[in-house]
Amino acid sequence: MRNFVRQFSLRFYKHCFSLAVPPAARSLRQLACNQHPSVRAGPLRIERLQHALRKNLRRHCCSGTRDLLQEEPVKKHLEGLFREYEQVTHRLQNPALSDSERRALSRRQVELLPMASVLEETERAWKDLKDVEAILQSAEGKDDQMVMLVEEEQNIIAKRIEALQRQLLENLVPSDRHDGSDVILEVAAGRTTGGDICQQFTREIFEMYLAFASYKNWAFEVLNYTPAEYGGLHHAAARVSGENVYKYLKYEGGTHRVQRIPEVGLSSRMQRIHTGTMTIIVLPQPSEIDIHLDPKDLRIDTFKSKGAGGQSVNTTDSAVRIVHIPTGTTVECQQERSQLHNRDTAMKMLRAKMYQQITEKETEKRHSFRKLQVGTRSQSERVRTYNFTQDRVTDHRIGCVARDIKEFLRGGEPLDEFIRQLLKYAEKEALLEMLENSSPSKAGE
Amino acid sequence: RPPPPSAGRPSVEECVDLWEGVFGERGVSEPRLSSEYIVAHVLGANTLASLARRGLAAVLTEAQTQRVWDLCARRLERMPVQYVIEEWDFRDLTLKMRPPVFIPRPETEELVGLVLTDLQHSRGPDQRGAVLASGPSLRFLEVGCGSGAISLSLLKSLPQARAVAVDRSPAAVSLAEENAHRLGLQDRLDLMELDVMTDAQAVLSHCGLFDFIVSNPPYVFSADMAALEPEILRFEDPGALDGGADGMDVIRHILSLAQQILPVGGKVYLEVEPRQPEMLQQRPGAGLQYTATHRDFSHRPRFCVLQRGRG
Repeated sequence: MRNFVRQFSLRFYKHCFSLAVPPAARSLRQLACNQHPSVRAGPLRIERLQHALRKNLRRHCCSGTRDLLQEEPVKKHLEGLFREYEQVTHRLQNPALSDSERRALSRRQVELLPMASVLEETERAWKDLKDVEAILQSAEGKDDQMVMLVEEEQNIIAKRIEALQRQLLENLVPSDRHDGSDVILEVAAGRTTGGDICQQFTREIFEMYLAFASYKNWAFEVLNYTPAEYGGLHHAAARVSGENVYKYLKYEGGTHRVQRIPEVGLSSRMQRIHTGTMTIIVLPQPSEIDIHLDPKDLRIDTFKSKGAGGQSVNTTDSAVRIVHIPTGTTVECQQERSQLHNRDTAMKMLRAKMYQQITEKETEKRHSFRKLQVGTRSQSERVRTYNFTQDRVTDHRIGCVARDIKEFLRGGEPLDEFIRQLLKYAEKEALLEMLENSSPSKAGE
Repeated sequence: RPPPPSAGRPSVEECVDLWEGVFGERGVSEPRLSSEYIVAHVLGANTLASLARRGLAAVLTEAQTQRVWDLCARRLERMPVQYVIEEWDFRDLTLKMRPPVFIPRPETEELVGLVLTDLQHSRGPDQRGAVLASGPSLRFLEVGCGSGAISLSLLKSLPQARAVAVDRSPAAVSLAEENAHRLGLQDRLDLMELDVMTDAQAVLSHCGLFDFIVSNPPYVFSADMAALEPEILRFEDPGALDGGADGMDVIRHILSLAQQILPVGGKVYLEVEPRQPEMLQQRPGAGLQYTATHRDFSHRPRFCVLQRGRG
């Protein structure tokens, strides 16, 4: 528990004191907390849980004097949910319910069940812990072996509580409705001088995600691929499908930087460390996107023949590019030998992009203070650096570091671990955001 | 002569680049794509993009290298890529291709789309299911089926429909049959080796009425034939392209057949030369009304819809 908290609070400190803290984050800092009475003192089960939760949260909050009524919303929220669960369960026993009522209630019960059972289980764990502590007290100065055993038991229960609290956090955090979506992953080399190093890097990164997809058992379909000189990659796009693809890839979007002494290409002549960039865009592709695109707004570029076309021309050029003129959004597809097929795929990509643009504003508003931004807006943001000369990968958002770039680029465990850290961090941020947004006392700040 | 395979085993990238260069030098059209498609095909992929997932640095085996060199040698003779790799995609189907059977063009994919959309609309959007369900009654005729692309694609999208497809070339009929079997659609497709210019009566007596006719008939003006690219001139059946002085020879026969085998309201969907919609609009043929012109992806007037009128 302590480790977990320490890790997290370290990151939170960084978060609070980093130079680019948006105003909302500063006000969050004011959520800060005093040292609080022991967690174990709480009389009510919910209350006790709240204390634990608050303690957990409080560790991340670093200064300020006001007491923490701000977490009242969470407490209320949890209490409310549990009460609702009990009420729903009670009402479901009423035989006079209509079918539709029963269905609605059952659905709600299923929704609430995970939270309710975690709460109950946590309650039991606290009770166990209290019992064990009582035993410890009464055993003071007596049987050493017995004390050791009981202490061991105490540890186990503490760990269980820690796990339950993490679960509770997970249940509390509003889930992203696109988490289960498939994804369109776009990569593009940066245009800094010595473009070849960017293109080389772009290819390595694209192949890393390809490997990551197979590590995760996801399908990876390349939609377009434009190679560059010296074995580099200019830009490419792929559809990644499988379980929770968006959830795991959403924080990969942004500008990725490379620092290395080039091995190939023009820049390799000078044995200097070069810096290059590439960007990644991650678009959720919900199965049903209802966006109307006016054909008048679209420019569809395909192979254009001279002369009469049709039978008088035999072309194998099936590539399609679609430009949405009002926004300048461009997609291309050359995955298939059928032009029509490519056009369908390109339209799907375009819809996904337009969808992203439309929902982005709303998301931005909601997440204005989050450090982990999702979406194309963050393209300009440098999210990660691959420093080959120091053999190190750094995520600038959470200060996460990995050694051994070669291994990292194989797209296996190390990348997965990075992503897990990001997700954990994002979860906390979402929770803090929920606190912020649901607290009426914060409205005036 | 093509260059000999290099000493070491080349990578995908090296192969593609090398042959792009050779094709370019020898004036072969679409040098980059030709090279990409052939290499991708030898490695069991459709396109270089779909190959990219395995990495372009992958090295070819000796047998694969040899195969690339053999196929590229054919392309150097200006054989169309589709014949070189013996297959091509049409909408969501992969079809076997064999000279001299006409290679379906991308415009024709749109013709199929047009027919499908029109069928939905004419039955009303809410009765969309009805098109599929009332299938057994839906029966169409294709004139000049070539590899079978149009009929097979429509049958695939209309699971209850049936079709009769005719072509005067025995090579076409047998290739279409092969494609139908490969796609498991042979039970709903009757293929006949038949020339509508001379044997229209045979269609009438054998087949009765159809719900609609679809055709991508030979429509190139005879005078334009000589200017076609060598890929077409040397390898494709001129009979599938040459439509006579005004490109309308076969079209006229289709239209006269239409008024005999279509019920009132039955439609003819044609792919034509951009100069022909106007000609057809002015003289749609006895008993037929000209209903619509549709443009292709290059914005050329390419598709005509005609309808059997009353009386």
